[in-house]
Amino acid sequence: MATAALQTDHELMLAVRDGELAALGELFERHHGPLYGYLAKHTGDRLAAEDIVQTVFQRMLKYRHTYRDDGAFTAWMYHLARRCAADYFRKHHAAPVATDPTDLQAYADARPHAGDQAGASDDRAFLHSALNRLDRDDREILLLSRFQELSFAEIAGILECSVGAAKVRAHRALRELRDIYFQLQGEKLT
Amino acid sequence: MNCIQARDRFAELLDQRLDGPVSGEVRLHLAACPDCQRDFVSLRDTLAQLDALPAAKPGPRLRANFYAMLEDEQRSAAAPARASAPSRRHTPRWRWILSPLAACGLLALSFVAGQRSAPVATPVTVPVDAATQHELADLRKKVDSMGQLVGYSLLQRQPANERLKGILATQDLAAPGDRVLTQLISALALDPSTNVRLSALEALYPYADQEVVRAGVLASLTREQSPLVQVSMIDFLVAARDREAAPTLQQLVRADKVDRSVRDAAKRALVQL
Ligand SMILES: [Zn+2]
Repeated sequence: MATAALQTDHELMLAVRDGELAALGELFERHHGPLYGYLAKHTGDRLAAEDIVQTVFQRMLKYRHTYRDDGAFTAWMYHLARRCAADYFRKHHAAPVATDPTDLQAYADARPHAGDQAGASDDRAFLHSALNRLDRDDREILLLSRFQELSFAEIAGILECSVGAAKVRAHRALRELRDIYFQLQGEKLT
Repeated sequence: MNCIQARDRFAELLDQRLDGPVSGEVRLHLAACPDCQRDFVSLRDTLAQLDALPAAKPGPRLRANFYAMLEDEQRSAAAPARASAPSRRHTPRWRWILSPLAACGLLALSFVAGQRSAPVATPVTVPVDAATQHELADLRKKVDSMGQLVGYSLLQRQPANERLKGILATQDLAAPGDRVLTQLISALALDPSTNVRLSALEALYPYADQEVVRAGVLASLTREQSPLVQVSMIDFLVAARDREAAPTLQQLVRADKVDRSVRDAAKRALVQL
């Protein structure tokens, strides 16, 4: 569809709602990457993240009639993603494995520049590990607030809490992450 | 402004979305307080690290699965036009169940739908329309070409004991969704481990009253290689009082290549049904 590229997310989703299902393809192309990135970090499980992304888009079709005229597509998408992730965590009672060595390795290897210093990738691995050790709700709000182009009003909508509460929780989560991160780095030094 | 008040406001310095009128006061305190400076810098560094974490990239499977699902949904959205055809009696329910399957790359289970619809259509005098026939043939073809692939992808994902754990976990669910049932049926039909297949069958017992579950077991029965699992499946169908199993059971009784114990079980089942 040549015109799809010119339409906003909202227009595309309204088209999907009105039966033009193919328009979801363009929304998928625009959003599946960041959504996957968010879910991969949130679950700590890349395969699960792929499954959840798929489920999110499936639910967009299934619940397309509930998309509102005044809807905000991105916020709606993360709202669905949140539900799907909760289903995932319910099935996998335990929190994601914090220190899967292969995962740390993957992050250590994922250096953007060959000239990066080894220390930087170590830090990254520690931070990734700290993120996985964070309480699930803390990780969720922190990721939503950092990685996505969402306002705190939208985040509050996604999390179904007040804007003030969302702000406070995000900041508290950052402090928690900082503490774990520095603790891990300290353990490495001793 | 004291340290506690100042630190509560650091969020506003760290995130321009939150920039409020108070941040001037916070800055003043920060300039004069080394403790708060340390706190602030460590938070800022943590955030910088967090923002610098590389974003994981999805594999090619995701896009392929998405478009398979979209196509499937588009077809089923177009389907009501022919919904009156008797052979499509089960289709809406199946579609619903099968779409998550496509999601898992397990298109093969569409086979179940094909198998199930066909015998239902035969006793009815109205002939199956060409489009439906074509679709069923297409589904069967997909199964044949994908059978190996599916087994492979299941194998790849997790070791057998992990797959088993996944199945056992479903037994804790009070009301498993269609997705869980789909996974159990997939495991029953496709998992390379006899143990996993048997556990999946056991996990399906509480849901034997659902047509989709009985149909899944029945479709898996003819594909199953292990006599032990086959006999267990037959027991399942008897327990579920699935009359629609009769034609398949008769086929098993007559098939020479089928293990003796399976044929006996099928014979007994036919009497009980
Ligand atoms: Zn201070």
